[in-house]
Amino acid sequence: MSALGDLVTPKVRFRLEPYFQFAQKAMAREATYRFDVFTTVASVLVRVYLLRMVWVALYLRNAAPTDLPLHAIITYSTVALLMGLVMDIDQTRILHDNLHSGTIATDFMKPIIVPLYFFSDGTGEVLFHAILIVPSLLFSLLIVQIDVPGPLVLAAFALSCFLGYMVGFCINFILNCIAFWTLEIHAARLIVTWVTDLFGGEIIPLVIFPAFLQKVAFALPFAAMFSTPLLIYIGHIKPAGYAAALGLQVFWLVVLGFAATIIWRAGAKRVIVQGG
Amino acid sequence: MLNRLRVMWSVYKQYWRINILTTLEYRENFLIWFAFTFIYHGSAITALWIVLNRFPEMNGWTFRDMAFLYGLWMLAHAVHNTFFSTVGDIPDHIRDGEFDRLLVRPLDTLFQAIATPGQVFPDELILALLYFGVVTWYSGATVDATFVVFVPLIVLGGAMIDLAFNLFISTVAFWFVRVDALRWIVIQLEQEFTRYPITIYSRGVRLLLTFVVPFAFMNYFPARYFLHKAHEGAMLPAAAGLFTPAIGVLFVAAAYLFWRFGLNRYSGVGH
Repeated sequence: MSALGDLVTPKVRFRLEPYFQFAQKAMAREATYRFDVFTTVASVLVRVYLLRMVWVALYLRNAAPTDLPLHAIITYSTVALLMGLVMDIDQTRILHDNLHSGTIATDFMKPIIVPLYFFSDGTGEVLFHAILIVPSLLFSLLIVQIDVPGPLVLAAFALSCFLGYMVGFCINFILNCIAFWTLEIHAARLIVTWVTDLFGGEIIPLVIFPAFLQKVAFALPFAAMFSTPLLIYIGHIKPAGYAAALGLQVFWLVVLGFAATIIWRAGAKRVIVQGG
Repeated sequence: MLNRLRVMWSVYKQYWRINILTTLEYRENFLIWFAFTFIYHGSAITALWIVLNRFPEMNGWTFRDMAFLYGLWMLAHAVHNTFFSTVGDIPDHIRDGEFDRLLVRPLDTLFQAIATPGQVFPDELILALLYFGVVTWYSGATVDATFVVFVPLIVLGGAMIDLAFNLFISTVAFWFVRVDALRWIVIQLEQEFTRYPITIYSRGVRLLLTFVVPFAFMNYFPARYFLHKAHEGAMLPAAAGLFTPAIGVLFVAAAYLFWRFGLNRYSGVGH
């Protein structure tokens, strides 16, 4: 694949090639649902309008928090919505689907690393949805004004987003692994989605939570998905705090990655037993 | 006619018997869906509480008022989900050809669609009733004769508004087989736009929520009436809060006419 360039040896390239193909296939698959693209963008715009009206009404009659002026919270919520286009996707749904249909058995026979296959398939889907951020952002700018920070902050935000994405991948992967035991995880998945929405800081910044709940929320891994990148973006986390904030994200990534590995191994064994 | 109703009633009783037997059969599944319902409403109310804990009022509405606003919507929505959620399965039946079987049977097609057993259980309704009881006390709404007579009617009216849109979207499936995206948008809009007093929106959106997609009649106008916030004067006089049943009947009638229209033109999807 030319995109890989000549940086890697032919052997490595041969090894990686299938995963790029999986990602491309996933992108093409997503692109076939044209109407969903339209509804996704429309729904983002409605929610941007809604968040603006809600925060304006709340700031109108109450004392505003000094460290979180109206424009900052509107920026926060809008960027959170756009991030949600990518982050709210369950990239490992294919694991659950293949478990249900039984095709997981043939996945194991292929000369590939199966979790990496799920990862590249999910990433392809995510990359397609990432494209939707562009029209969503452009139309959103008709409704709200968004603050744009300097290049250093943007770079830290991008890095933090990537770490958040990886944490999200691990959480989804663990969740879908549960299907090895229960097969049905639809309700559990929706429950995790709402908990992430609330405790990840996607709909309300964690910094305006009451003190006790704030402690709980910041101690959970969900904060690493949305809250950390967003607080970096609006400047609530200052450059001096970047190391600690990103370090905590890396910590969660390691812990959840480790947990995912253990659960995956235990689950994969079960499949082999069932296959006889 | 009477005989016909008696037959429908006995079919409907069987429908609930099967639903409840199915639920008892898949107990773990039921428990996890109950947890789902609980967390769904729990996280919405928690989010409201968090915001209004930090910002004590929103256009004159406190958390107590908005908890009541949510309770009214939740109750109407739960009544709809318990008795009419099966209407939303019609597009699936059309797609897989099951629907054509309903057409050749000697009972009303829509009634049969409503009475297609699944795994319906009144858990959300029970939860909504409990929540509404608590929140009526908590919000300090005046419980008088008007309240006792009108709240059940308003809840039914609200459920009918839900039903009207559910039926309308399902009818669209006669022409466009896949309507999931449309349904998803309407559900999302309803959730979001029933959460706050409509005075926070611009005039155009308020008009829309009052006359075109009258979600404001599900909870905002009745809540404004019972919480004595009529001075807000958003579009309509206070008594508008008691008109929800009429709006519900009107919209269901319109949706039903559209359904008949679609049904008469339906010729299968080619099975």
